[in-house]
Amino acid sequence: MALVNLSSPHHHSLNKTSRLMVWVLLATLPGLAVQSYFYGYGTLINLLWASFLALGFEAIVLGLRRRPIMPYLTDGSALVTAFLIALALPPFSPWWLTLVAVLFSIIFAKHLYGGLGNNPFNPAMVGYALCLIAFPVSMTQWAGTEATLTFGQQWQWFWLESVTGGIDSWTRATPLDLMRRTNGLTLTEVASSNPQLGLGLVASMWINLAYLLGGLILLAARVFTWHAPVAMLAGLGFCAGLFHMGEPDLYPSASQHLLTGATMLSAFFIVTDPVSGATSRKGKLVFGVGVGILVFIIRSFGSYPDAFAFAILLMNLSAPLIDTYTQPKAYGHQPKKSRSQGEE
Amino acid sequence: MRKTWNFHGGVHPLENKTQSNQLPIVVMPAPKQLVLPLSQHMGKAGKAVVKPGDYVFKGQLIASAQGFVSANIHAPSSGYVSALEERTLPHQSALSGPCIVIDTDGKDQWGDLNPTIDPKLLSKSDLLYLIQAAGITGMGGAGFPGAVKLQPKSSIHTLIINAAECEPYITADDRLMREYADQIISGIQLVQQLLDQPQCLIGIEDNKPEAIAALNHALNQHMNIEVCVIETKYPSGGEKQLIEILTGQQVPNEGIPADIGIVCQNVGTVKAVFDAIVLGQPLITRITTVTGKAAVNAGNYEVLIGTKVADVLAFAKVDLIKTSRLVMGGPMMGFTIQDTQTPIIKSSNCILAAADLELATVADHHSCIRCGLCEVACPAELLPQQLFWFAKAEEFEKAQDHNLSDCIECGACAWVCPSQIPLVQYYRYAKGRIKALNNETQLAELSRMRFETREQRLVDEKSAKEEKRKLRATAAAAAQAAKRAANPTSADPIAAALARVNKRKQEQQTATTPKSPEEVYKELKTAAAITRTKLNKTSKALTDAKAQDHEQAAGLQETVIALTTKAAVAQAKLHAYETKLGLDPEKEKILQVSVAKANGTIRQLEKILATAADPKRIEADILNAKATHEAATQALADHQTNLTKKPTSAQES
Repeated sequence: MALVNLSSPHHHSLNKTSRLMVWVLLATLPGLAVQSYFYGYGTLINLLWASFLALGFEAIVLGLRRRPIMPYLTDGSALVTAFLIALALPPFSPWWLTLVAVLFSIIFAKHLYGGLGNNPFNPAMVGYALCLIAFPVSMTQWAGTEATLTFGQQWQWFWLESVTGGIDSWTRATPLDLMRRTNGLTLTEVASSNPQLGLGLVASMWINLAYLLGGLILLAARVFTWHAPVAMLAGLGFCAGLFHMGEPDLYPSASQHLLTGATMLSAFFIVTDPVSGATSRKGKLVFGVGVGILVFIIRSFGSYPDAFAFAILLMNLSAPLIDTYTQPKAYGHQPKKSRSQGEE
Repeated sequence: MRKTWNFHGGVHPLENKTQSNQLPIVVMPAPKQLVLPLSQHMGKAGKAVVKPGDYVFKGQLIASAQGFVSANIHAPSSGYVSALEERTLPHQSALSGPCIVIDTDGKDQWGDLNPTIDPKLLSKSDLLYLIQAAGITGMGGAGFPGAVKLQPKSSIHTLIINAAECEPYITADDRLMREYADQIISGIQLVQQLLDQPQCLIGIEDNKPEAIAALNHALNQHMNIEVCVIETKYPSGGEKQLIEILTGQQVPNEGIPADIGIVCQNVGTVKAVFDAIVLGQPLITRITTVTGKAAVNAGNYEVLIGTKVADVLAFAKVDLIKTSRLVMGGPMMGFTIQDTQTPIIKSSNCILAAADLELATVADHHSCIRCGLCEVACPAELLPQQLFWFAKAEEFEKAQDHNLSDCIECGACAWVCPSQIPLVQYYRYAKGRIKALNNETQLAELSRMRFETREQRLVDEKSAKEEKRKLRATAAAAAQAAKRAANPTSADPIAAALARVNKRKQEQQTATTPKSPEEVYKELKTAAAITRTKLNKTSKALTDAKAQDHEQAAGLQETVIALTTKAAVAQAKLHAYETKLGLDPEKEKILQVSVAKANGTIRQLEKILATAADPKRIEADILNAKATHEAATQALADHQTNLTKKPTSAQES
């Protein structure tokens, strides 16, 4: 047999990108289940629709770019984007909203930059942010927890945007929204006057815990390191705790921040996106803390109900800068002298 | 138990060691032919000291080290040197290089051996000399000449013996330690003796319990040697990594272990030190693992250096049909060879004959998603994913900025890469390019410096000349002034001189003594000759000027015309005078020539006379020639007398 000439190493762990992606997809399942339990079939329908669209767009663009379709399609990255979009969108998203988000994510945010590995921004977040700006009403139609639509009703809403009783009778403000627009009341007053808040907080706590579980599974499977998610949660928790200590009537507590909205989803599934994040472990810490602080700032003082999409996109922008200043010390190199010594 | 540290990163590939470590080492008999590359080590190649046709004994020096970083090579078996030629070298490039080829005679006859009975009495320089003479190089893989590391500039507190053998598949050191533990310990003691008795730590991975037991058994309380069992993790056997594991210290970048008081030697190397000093045997054999699914008799073999891979494979019953990839070294850092005629060298610790699908297959690699698994695995604490992007984009400066040069090419990053990118290949490419670019830059810098130096030298020479000229001018002026100062009464010296010249001219004109006709004739002749020469020179200058398109060509043209007339006039004057004298210069010339000819003939004849067979005839000829000569001389003399007579009359007329 002809002997081959290859460069070392001749061994491989047989690890594959698709394996990482499958882990990510599987790890979203607890969150998906809990989310569907509280808000109905909307997320599930959206997830299937988004997956279908993502794979379709990915195949079309790969064809246009004259790239081999199957190897890239099966790497799972398009599916991950679709999952993240579907999980982040409200349960009452109509078909076209998901379509816009997925189309923009896959074609513009991902492939126009050169495809997997070359995108400076997290594609799912780009699609999500676009919809948030362009269709703010649709993007805030969050479901209530006390009564969910039946599958038939959800299906009808999804395609026709009509539902018995009008959608307004089904939508509820999210806990974050309630806590932000207090109309001059303290948080305790809001809680006592609006039973929605308590219910919403319980639901989002369970959902967040489910995502936390998924994230811990990924950590155990070594899909990513702990640095970015822990840093983000710490950054957010620290800011929230600090402000809550100062003004407990105005600012929700750290635990409320950590367990509402998309905190855990973004911490373990979006902040950990390696492509658009910082590279080194030190860099990931900075990146995570940055996201955490931005999430807190936008949630508390901005005009959007949740903040992670913008926070992550802003930090994506800073990732190259972070990389430049967080290059780790290589073996045998002296630690870089701190600058303050010379500047005293 | 001694505290050990952990190094950053590392991976856990399947060990695959049991295939080859079950059976004792088998000594392979000398093959028919041995091929010994002159360069089996880092540094300069050795220089052959034998020539084709020479008979060599086993252990005889056949190539001597050239310089400090180089190593001797000895004949591994007795036989005749059959060739000194280029053969394929054991290297990824499969380039060929000079090799000594020995056709063995099967007697395996040792030359003179000089074993040392009591090595404890040897001085440091004796030990070093013996190690150097035995041609010992690092047996672990890199093949660094052993003696170099053993004469460090700083004092050594710790000797580390690398027995980690972290590469999968390889078990050569494992078997060596199991079977030669005593020799290894003695070798270590010799190295300790050489390095002023530092403590010795043997770093060995915990996957070799038998070897650990054997070493511990060979040790006793009084020895300053300790076996340190470390976690099995690739690449714990990297020199820098092992040092960090055992001492917690990192070798400074661009430094060597000796900088922090550490020397690291492979376990095979200390065994070779024992053989060289105690037995007096140079390094001519080594233990090589033959393994892989295509090897029927996988195991460890003691093979002579220079044995061809084909012979080793045949001896280990390797099924070449089944082999799809032949790796020399381990699967992580080894290189593939395609020519089975490649020889085993001092650093060849393993031949991996892999069957199809046994090793990672070539897959089209995916895009890097910067997952960071490589960063987690990198033992050099680099950012492999960033280095990959820089290498791919040819951003070599950035790559260097990210310490590409610290990459030890262990392959851990490529091993974990989920996109299956051949990262090490990218780094090797970038390193090669950086080296080439640096060479280019250096060359360019050198030629720039050379050019600038030359320019500067020319400028300096010019200004020095100018300076000298100025000095001379001032000196002359000063002399002049001094002269004038010394003789202040006299008028302007130039005016005085002019007056003197004028006076003399007038005197000449008024002088009554008429010039003799010979004098006049001579003067005219000289004048004609001078003008002719001047004309020639100027016309030559003119052609040159014209050829170069010089601006003075026009001026020269005029001079030439003027000179031509002048020369013509002078010639005419001379001619007129000659006619007046009745001279015939042509005739005189002819007469002169005939005199010279006659003279020549006489000389020739006289020469012939010395060796001639019939001297009488020649003598007669000489007499004749002499007569001719006399006649010619007479004719010339007559002509010249004529000349002296005639002008007198001419003057009178």
